[in-house]
Amino acid sequence: MRVRTLGIAAALVVAVLSVAARQSAEAAEPAAANSTKPDDKTGKLTTDFAHPTPAGIEHFEKKIRPVLTQHCYKCHSAAASSIKGELRLDTRDGVRKGGESGAAVVPGDSQSSLLMEALRFEGLEMPPTGKLTDEQIADFAAWIDMGAPDPRTGNGAKKKLDLASARQFWAYQLPKKPALPAVQNSEWAATDVDRFLLAAMEKQGLKPAADADKLTWLRRVTFDLVGLPPTLSEVDAYLADTSAGADAAVVDRLLASPQFGERWGRHWLDVARYGESTGKERNIPYTHAWRYRDWVIDAVNADKPYTLFIKEQIAGDLMPAANPQQHNTQSIATGFLALGPKSVNERNAEQYLMDAVDDQIDVTTRAFLATTVGCARCHDHKFDPIPTSDYYALAGIFRSTEALSGVVGRSSKGVKNDYSGELMPLTATASPSGNAKPAPAATMSKEAQTEYAKISKQLAQRREKLERLVKSVKGSATSKNAKAEAKKEYKRLTEQVERDEKALAELKAGPKPAGGAADSFAMGVRDVAQPADTEIRTRGEPEEKGAVVPRGFVQVLKSSGTPKVDPRHSGRLQMAEWIASRENPLTARVMVNRVWYHLFGRGIVETVDNFGALGEEPSHPELLDYLAVSFMDHGWSLKKAVRELVLSRAYRMSSDHDADNYAKDPGNKFFWRMNRRRLDAEAIRDATLAVGGSLDLSRPTGSPIANLSTATEIGKRGSIEDLSDAVAHHRSVYLPLIRNGMPEVLAVFDVADPSLIVGQREVTTVATQALFLMNSPLVLEQAQAAAKRVTSSTSDAARGVEAAYRLILQRPPTSDEIRLGKQFVVEYGQVVDGQVDGKTKNVSPSTDAAWTALCQTLMSSAEFRYLY
Amino acid sequence: MHTPLFSRREMLRSSACGFGYLALAGLCAKQSAAATTSVGPLAPKVPLFPAKAKRVIFMFHQGGPSHVDTLDYKPQLAVDDGKAPGDTGFYKGGNRKLMKSPFAFEQHGKSGLPISSLLPNLAKHADKLCLLNGMHTDLPNHPQASVQLHTGSFQFVRPSMGAWVLYGLGTENDELPGFITINPSGRVGGAQNYGSAFLPAPFQGTPIGAEGKTVGEGSIPNIQAHVPAGLQRKQLDYLQSLNRDRLAADGVNTELEGLIESYELAFRMQGAVPKVLDLKDESQATLDAYGVGGKATDSFARQCLLARRFAEAGVRFIEVATGGWDQHQNLRSALTKNCEGIDQPMAALLHDLDQRGLLEDTLVVSGGEFGRTPHVSKADGRDHNATGYTMWMAGGGIKGGIRHGATDEYGIKAVEKPTHVHDLHATILHLLGLDHTKLTYRYSGRDFRLTDVHGNVVKDIIA
Repeated sequence: MRVRTLGIAAALVVAVLSVAARQSAEAAEPAAANSTKPDDKTGKLTTDFAHPTPAGIEHFEKKIRPVLTQHCYKCHSAAASSIKGELRLDTRDGVRKGGESGAAVVPGDSQSSLLMEALRFEGLEMPPTGKLTDEQIADFAAWIDMGAPDPRTGNGAKKKLDLASARQFWAYQLPKKPALPAVQNSEWAATDVDRFLLAAMEKQGLKPAADADKLTWLRRVTFDLVGLPPTLSEVDAYLADTSAGADAAVVDRLLASPQFGERWGRHWLDVARYGESTGKERNIPYTHAWRYRDWVIDAVNADKPYTLFIKEQIAGDLMPAANPQQHNTQSIATGFLALGPKSVNERNAEQYLMDAVDDQIDVTTRAFLATTVGCARCHDHKFDPIPTSDYYALAGIFRSTEALSGVVGRSSKGVKNDYSGELMPLTATASPSGNAKPAPAATMSKEAQTEYAKISKQLAQRREKLERLVKSVKGSATSKNAKAEAKKEYKRLTEQVERDEKALAELKAGPKPAGGAADSFAMGVRDVAQPADTEIRTRGEPEEKGAVVPRGFVQVLKSSGTPKVDPRHSGRLQMAEWIASRENPLTARVMVNRVWYHLFGRGIVETVDNFGALGEEPSHPELLDYLAVSFMDHGWSLKKAVRELVLSRAYRMSSDHDADNYAKDPGNKFFWRMNRRRLDAEAIRDATLAVGGSLDLSRPTGSPIANLSTATEIGKRGSIEDLSDAVAHHRSVYLPLIRNGMPEVLAVFDVADPSLIVGQREVTTVATQALFLMNSPLVLEQAQAAAKRVTSSTSDAARGVEAAYRLILQRPPTSDEIRLGKQFVVEYGQVVDGQVDGKTKNVSPSTDAAWTALCQTLMSSAEFRYLY
Repeated sequence: MHTPLFSRREMLRSSACGFGYLALAGLCAKQSAAATTSVGPLAPKVPLFPAKAKRVIFMFHQGGPSHVDTLDYKPQLAVDDGKAPGDTGFYKGGNRKLMKSPFAFEQHGKSGLPISSLLPNLAKHADKLCLLNGMHTDLPNHPQASVQLHTGSFQFVRPSMGAWVLYGLGTENDELPGFITINPSGRVGGAQNYGSAFLPAPFQGTPIGAEGKTVGEGSIPNIQAHVPAGLQRKQLDYLQSLNRDRLAADGVNTELEGLIESYELAFRMQGAVPKVLDLKDESQATLDAYGVGGKATDSFARQCLLARRFAEAGVRFIEVATGGWDQHQNLRSALTKNCEGIDQPMAALLHDLDQRGLLEDTLVVSGGEFGRTPHVSKADGRDHNATGYTMWMAGGGIKGGIRHGATDEYGIKAVEKPTHVHDLHATILHLLGLDHTKLTYRYSGRDFRLTDVHGNVVKDIIA
């Protein structure tokens, strides 16, 4: 959990400091661009051009290299088809040596440098495509005058990647089962996990926190596993159960409940950048994305082995299936690759395709491997051993794959404003699965869509008329005649509206399926007819094609057992096998780290989506390996992994402050206590509905997005309509997730942006959240509902306060809290009544309002919002 | 006090008892009576170097306003009217013919800036304006160009420049959002144009109303107290006592301190926001000056007046918008109507800001996502032109009465001192005291910037 109130500040401090450092360095330019030292003989200062300073290098990197790359390399580098004028500008030696016309630069003397003449268009005119800006030219002059600092060594030929040494990096070595560490305190550890943590704590002189009380543990584990508060009866049952297996019984009950998949499926949807529209510049709905969402939830609930979970998302359509049902399920999983954000308005077909490929590479490598392969699109990865050729080896696989998203790009023939495209048809099965209701709009024919749009417009006009009519009648004392007239009109209009609605429903349902025909669709992918390797694109420019790279995988993560791409297919199947393997050093580690993060509030590797050189190193490397190996040994079972962790002693620790420990480890890096965590957006909303007794735990069919038309851009009428009403009481995971139009309650509490891959959500504390809890209809309605539950159970004020605490915070109040609560109800009621004489009525609107306010207060309290 | 942020954070981190945050907030409130100091991520920050401008008003005219008919005077275009422009610029070949502007240009002010007859009121402020006549952007498509203008990238989802500005500078008035966009469009990028992407959510823009809605009708969600303030205060006191009990039990919990503060801020916002949105306390003369109530001008007049009120109240980044500048046809009538809609309000805003002493530290930026072609295929329409167009800036640190950069003799392509959208962004940040190469945020393993690896500050236009 990144806590933003401090996190940002800390980041800024770092930013400000580094800025200060850079500024002071820059202030000294250009003299300080190279090391300056006194000459031994003369005592004069001379400039050592051979040893550039960091400021000089920075000037080169920021101002010079990008321009060289963009404007010069095409003709003057190793990558050029023929090197013009024998001049190479991609190496330091090349620049100094120059070409046919002589040295390009004279370090320290821009006036005599040929390069400057060319850039100024004095004689030679370079670059030929057009003069650089004055500022850029001045940058070059300054660079040469400071001695042309240039960190580029070597001859410019591609540096060969040294895989053996690259694999020394901790994350690229296969996890090995470590020996259990020795600990001094032989009492505390209940599981192996505890021993690893304890050993590290003892090394630091830290002591594990005391156990949390039963209620705290129950609330914690219930929210963590199912995203909901424990019910009153669950609390009572657990408190009554004094057996040794009481905790395990709770955990097993939670793991078996369908709500587990909704909670943990949502965690996965964050990294899968799940959203129900294209987002970006033209926002077109994904009417069938919800099938992937449901697939994720079902897979988690079924505890599908993680290897299978991976494989189906990458290549489910290519995997053998015992029956059509299984084939459908597996194919739906590939929605993972199809539902990224897309620029449908992109007119350059190649750009559109390469952007889609980039999204697929990015999500696949970061979600499963916490590796930022996307950085190698335009150049070799700056920090990790991933050359551009690795990127395009993967790109070849995805270029050989076709996304069936239900939308097409503008670059496709004939597309103007209707971006409707092909979806993946599901094979008809004997008994369609419960949720296989065809989602309408996208299956409509063009004619039907036109008709649909026409009627929709007409319907909107009629509804508006109706509204105006009702208003006009309400707002005025009109004559009898006029009233009768209005009534007639009202009837006529309502009939028309009904007729239109029916027509729309029929159009949506589409032609009645002839027995056994494919009657439903999903988002997914399939191999193209002719799979092929693709070219490296210089600087990521889609049209600037370089050498063809054979399809394959990230070299540093390959092993002897890595399968080779089958040339007849895209290679997705082999990619899936390469990732979902014990031989891949990252796959298991990345997943157990995600699980750990969700249960303990901070990853063992804090950067859960980046295990590369710029990521953090693990705080407990042995523990991470232990968990990874254990995960693989136990059949890659998510539920077993979760179970092991929540039944540990570590998970049971209280979150209480401890001055001694805090002094040594204020950030709790060594997990000496449980981290306090804020509930995420979904849990806050679901818990709010739950305490109001309004939560509908059933799964809605499809999504409200399924009723939109891909022929219509979202937000065309100005604002994006909130479509949450249809699922107003369902769990938050089922809310419609329009990119750039997220439901308010989720947006306010830091939901993951569905256009980005988010393994770790931000946690902010801002006034808009307070406003939401103070004034939003959702909270007010549920507070009122909760108050009804409270007041209907008792008429005694003290018992009422107690009931409210038990319902909302899952604990009994202290006597002080009862006193305060009672006092508040009385005083609030008095203010409502405008009474000052201290008299209150027993049951009156004012006391109802007071109990509602009490419940709302508890629902807005810090305790409600945090897990302790 | 050059790094108050640092010292405050240090103090908090080292404070053993948890009340540092609140105590400090209390202190700050006492020190500054005018505007209370936010202690969250939006706390005001000192810019990297002395800033010329403290805030930005950005006028976005979506659709691609024609530059050669408004602010880019091209006499040669009139001379060669009806000829083919040759193989210049974006549109190669074809049957396009040059079309002179149907609108007359005249020189205005001491500076003699040429401005067309479509903008007579703005022209009165010629000496305040810096015309960026050499603007260019990457793509001539509305959605991409609009998103790039707002976020720097049309390819990837990136934070809006307003979000970057707020991230870099924080807010001056914590009773109002620091980044407000009035009546934004749901299209051409929609919320992405004011989103925070990977920057934390508090930096995102707060939309007020939506395109097509009456200005002032929309407001900030949940800002309306559902009960009278006194009653809500009563409830809030109860809530805060529970929260403080919890805090005492927790020992150290800075987040909870922030939460307690967030309720107080929210309560103050409830009082402040409706007041700023309510134009009742503006004089009739002011309303008339902006054109509030005027048939053509009402909508944009209200936006501009609100923008001034927000600027006055210390909002960091304010965007106002108009749409419908896509004149492929009906150039004469539609462009005339559009300009009528914005000319008086824009001029009034400049005048009003100036009078109140706000113009010197308020940067006003105006323009569309691209311009239009001087060479046409229809008699009364111009097409998209991303290779050369015009925006203007005024106020906070800008040299007035100048033209910077230039298109070719017809207005097709920026040829002299071209200014890319990245350069515009770099310059805006620079004027605010932020270095676009140093204002970075670490996301997904690397440091991101508004200008990515591009952008040069246009130093020539800085006063």
